[in-house]
Amino acid sequence: MSAFEKSVNCEDVAPLLVFYACNEVSDRERKQIDAHAANCQACAAQLAEESHLQEAMVAAPQPADELDSSGILLSQCRSELAEALDDLSAPPIQEHWRPFGWLRRWMALRPAWSGALLVLFGIVLGTQVLPWLQNGKSGNANGQAMNVTAKPPLSKDQLDNMEIAGINFSPSSDAGSPNVQLKLSAEQPMVLTGSVDDSDMRHVLTYVVENGQRFDAGVRLDCLEALKAASRDQQVRQALIAAARKDQNPAVRMKALESLREASADDDVRQALLDALQHDANPGVRVEAVNVLVGSLQHRESEETAPEAADATPVVKLSSPEEDPSVERVVRALQQLQHRDPSRYVRLRSAAALRQIGPREVQ
Amino acid sequence: MPLPRWALALADYNGRSGSTDAALASVISLSHLDERALVAEAQTGSRAAFEELVRRFDRDVLRLALNLMKRPEDARDVYQEAFLKVYRNLHRFRFECSFYTWLYRIVTNVCLDHLRRRQARPEDQAPELSSGLHEEGITDFFERQREQRPTLDPERTFIGKEIKARIAIAMERLSPRERIVFEMKHYQGLKLRAIGDALGTTEETVKNSLFRATRKLRHELGGLR
Repeated sequence: MSAFEKSVNCEDVAPLLVFYACNEVSDRERKQIDAHAANCQACAAQLAEESHLQEAMVAAPQPADELDSSGILLSQCRSELAEALDDLSAPPIQEHWRPFGWLRRWMALRPAWSGALLVLFGIVLGTQVLPWLQNGKSGNANGQAMNVTAKPPLSKDQLDNMEIAGINFSPSSDAGSPNVQLKLSAEQPMVLTGSVDDSDMRHVLTYVVENGQRFDAGVRLDCLEALKAASRDQQVRQALIAAARKDQNPAVRMKALESLREASADDDVRQALLDALQHDANPGVRVEAVNVLVGSLQHRESEETAPEAADATPVVKLSSPEEDPSVERVVRALQQLQHRDPSRYVRLRSAAALRQIGPREVQ
Repeated sequence: MPLPRWALALADYNGRSGSTDAALASVISLSHLDERALVAEAQTGSRAAFEELVRRFDRDVLRLALNLMKRPEDARDVYQEAFLKVYRNLHRFRFECSFYTWLYRIVTNVCLDHLRRRQARPEDQAPELSSGLHEEGITDFFERQREQRPTLDPERTFIGKEIKARIAIAMERLSPRERIVFEMKHYQGLKLRAIGDALGTTEETVKNSLFRATRKLRHELGGLR
């Protein structure tokens, strides 16, 4: 017996006896246990008991002996497996063509999760997707107009790229400036609604008048009509004067002069009226200039007299030349027009205007 | 010896040939293939090779399932589920262990799942085959055993009867994993290393499980001689 084998005691051997009995110890361990059991009756008895127990358990009938003693169950199992393999091997055409088959199988196996997911899906669909889709539809996809409530300031690029799709007027409730609705076709179609006093609205209308070549005459006339109420504004007045001088369409020039009626006492306006009177090629414009000038020369007391009624009204009282030196220029221009204008109607209208103004000594 | 009709049909199904001779040759050649070649053949999609693999191992698989589940319907479920898993995952088998070990890993996992599910449902416990020595059913069972195995030594039958009843009770005290380890060691004859491979654990862990299982059984079967 080696020194190592002598050192093995009962505590070392006891845990190994289970494995010794079922032949799961190494050769070295087996020798140690054999050597120890030869000298230790207690361990030898425990080893014998362990071996006996395991032999008895192995020898005892097992459930499998009882449950499938005839082998019928094994045959059944083989048959069922073959059928299952047939199902697996068959081309699952329906599964391939059935949309979301995997999802339905997954849901069938997890009903609680499926219910929760469906509820979540419904919430997301209702609160996020549908509003998003509606916003997308009402955007510029169909070229429909969008109401702008926040009034972002219009940039020059936007103005340069815009087209006027429509312009509507409606009388305001407080008898002030009429409400205007402008439909703009730009990169983002929009509708501007408001009175001429709104800065954006005035900005757009002025832009149209100043850049008449980009817009058709009908739009320009509508814009001039809208701006009439704001003719005392410096920016609007300059735009109206420019239109009266430069617009290619005589109807637009006439409308511009008409729109300046409220501001006709202004020097710039009066000069523009005189220029139209003397240099405009269209007799209708010149006649309109005469009408507006006559109206502008009336006294404050008679300012309420309608210009259309000027022909019928008696002589109006003029400001003295000391009070308003431009009056002299107007009278002189009318006198020249009375004799030299190529249009007979203009000559007659000028003469009538001079009579209306009254006899006057021209210096 | 003529081959059964299913064998011919199986070979023909596999599409290897259209003739009976070719089908016959196919089945014969499969039966002579070693485990590795058979698995490789089955991995190519050969249904016949897979069926041959099943026939080589399914008897042990069913026996393990019956011993653990103790109910034929449960054992049948385990059998089917395990082999279908093998069929679906055979292409993943990389020969890093023996096919037998890989198969047992699947089977034991399926058994553990079933046992755990059963433990979670107390009303679904397996019937005790031998809940008492004096019950009528037990007597009937051993009467039938005696008839079926007339050559069995009567004394040994009696000892087996007593031991079986007590073992059945004692086995119920084991955890599912301890029961599987004990079953695979003593009734399937596997080495501890192979059991560890099959269960995806170390030999040392299996040793501990077996030691605990044996200690519990010895406690339950105290005085058994």
